[in-house]
Amino acid sequence: MTELRRILRLARNDFSYFFRTKWLMAVLLSLHLSDMLVVALVYNNLMTFNYFSFFVPGVVVMGLFAAALDTGRRIWLAIREGVIQYYLSLPISIYGIVIAYLLAGGLAAIVYSTSLLLVALIVLPAQAVWSTLILLPFLFVLAMGLAGISATLAALASTHGEYFFAYQQVVQVLLVTLSTVFYPIDVIKTYLPASLVNIVSANPLSLAAEAMRQYTFAGKPIQPLFLLNILLTSIPFAIVGAASYLTALHGIQVKGKL
Amino acid sequence: MRNVLRLVWFDLKPEIKPPVWIFIEWFTFTMQLFIYGAIISQLVKTQAIANYQQFYAVGFVVMMTFDIGSHAGRSFVEHAHEGRLPYLLSLPISRSKLFLSITLQGGAELAIMLTVPLALTLALLGNLTAISVAAAIATLFCLGFGVAGLMLGLSFIAFKSSDMYSAIVTGLSTIIIRFSTVLYPLIFLPPGYASVAALSPLTYGADLVRLLLGFDPSMLLNPMYAVAVLTALAVCTLGLGAFLLQRLVEGVKSG
Repeated sequence: MTELRRILRLARNDFSYFFRTKWLMAVLLSLHLSDMLVVALVYNNLMTFNYFSFFVPGVVVMGLFAAALDTGRRIWLAIREGVIQYYLSLPISIYGIVIAYLLAGGLAAIVYSTSLLLVALIVLPAQAVWSTLILLPFLFVLAMGLAGISATLAALASTHGEYFFAYQQVVQVLLVTLSTVFYPIDVIKTYLPASLVNIVSANPLSLAAEAMRQYTFAGKPIQPLFLLNILLTSIPFAIVGAASYLTALHGIQVKGKL
Repeated sequence: MRNVLRLVWFDLKPEIKPPVWIFIEWFTFTMQLFIYGAIISQLVKTQAIANYQQFYAVGFVVMMTFDIGSHAGRSFVEHAHEGRLPYLLSLPISRSKLFLSITLQGGAELAIMLTVPLALTLALLGNLTAISVAAAIATLFCLGFGVAGLMLGLSFIAFKSSDMYSAIVTGLSTIIIRFSTVLYPLIFLPPGYASVAALSPLTYGADLVRLLLGFDPSMLLNPMYAVAVLTALAVCTLGLGAFLLQRLVEGVKSG
């Protein structure tokens, strides 16, 4: 069997594990569907602009983010429960294991967020549904980047027990709050200092939410430069995540533990 | 009583040494209040809510109370499955004292976690009396105990499958929060949602705390209903928890 086929088999295993975790599916679906169908709708009654059409694409991006972050939990579990020792005994390189996890994380996030997008398309009329097909590969790279962030956290926290979830919560709160998922950039500019506004603008979650609002739902023509920005902000996270996980795996391979 | 306090400390110690989760909760609250709450407040334009950030601050404290109470109930079931509870049951201490220690531990955890968020909320609201603050705190504790008891009451599902229990209680928690007045007043909910919100204990908790902290009563529920529902919830679910501890816990399968 070639290395590629082994990577794909390992990725498929991790991908299916994500969807087989019942409590996780219950949390994610109830959270995102209620955000979309309850919070967005009620906030719309409290505001003077159409918050529903603004927030629904944001919920799809939040779904992508949450599903991608779960990659870190699976890596952390594998390290903690010794499953990683089994993986290391398989005829696959540590590079292959890292690629498999990032691929599975990205793919799980895309499949999960696509299911949310289908619900979004039912409740919110989209002007250019086909633009989503062009966005998907870029969102996949973004999801791999986000999976990379969580892989880094898992590698960092692997020797500190439950701290992984604490790190994850801090990163989640920072990335989601400092983005345009919940509020337009014009309003953010009136409240936050310029330095933080720059961070919000460069946040890959802001870019993805904006791309979905503008290209899928508003039907504006796709700007290649904007898509390039998504890649440029996502790829470094994927590289750092891969390097951290690789270092952790190398440590386990040499010393038997972290 | 010394044995009860020793047990409280036994369960509380992992939470506060080191206090990672306490700081994380405080950090999350601060970010949510001073960034999310403040920015969303600029978007909310309705005469019913003069300052949405203040409304949101109280709502977030109620949400935290729910999370902490729910965590206390869930950890009880987790301990049963991990074998820690059978160990506690084997100690030379009566079931009623054990139940008291679990309740006190949940209360202490709630008090520690809410200190900073509640202080920030009260500072943001300003102009409060000692009685209104004390009554609001009492309401939060009543709600916290009620939610912990509710999660404990649902533990009968865990006798069949702990995975299913986790899926149901975590999914239910999200629904209970969204279909309540934690984030928005009842008058802004569509009629179909409002009838579901009337079943959520958080609706009564959030509205009663807001009333005690001086929010406009015209957009809140009748406080008499809220007091009745919260008292009934706390008494019934804690009673059920005490009953389960007496009768059923030893039947929990481990693993």
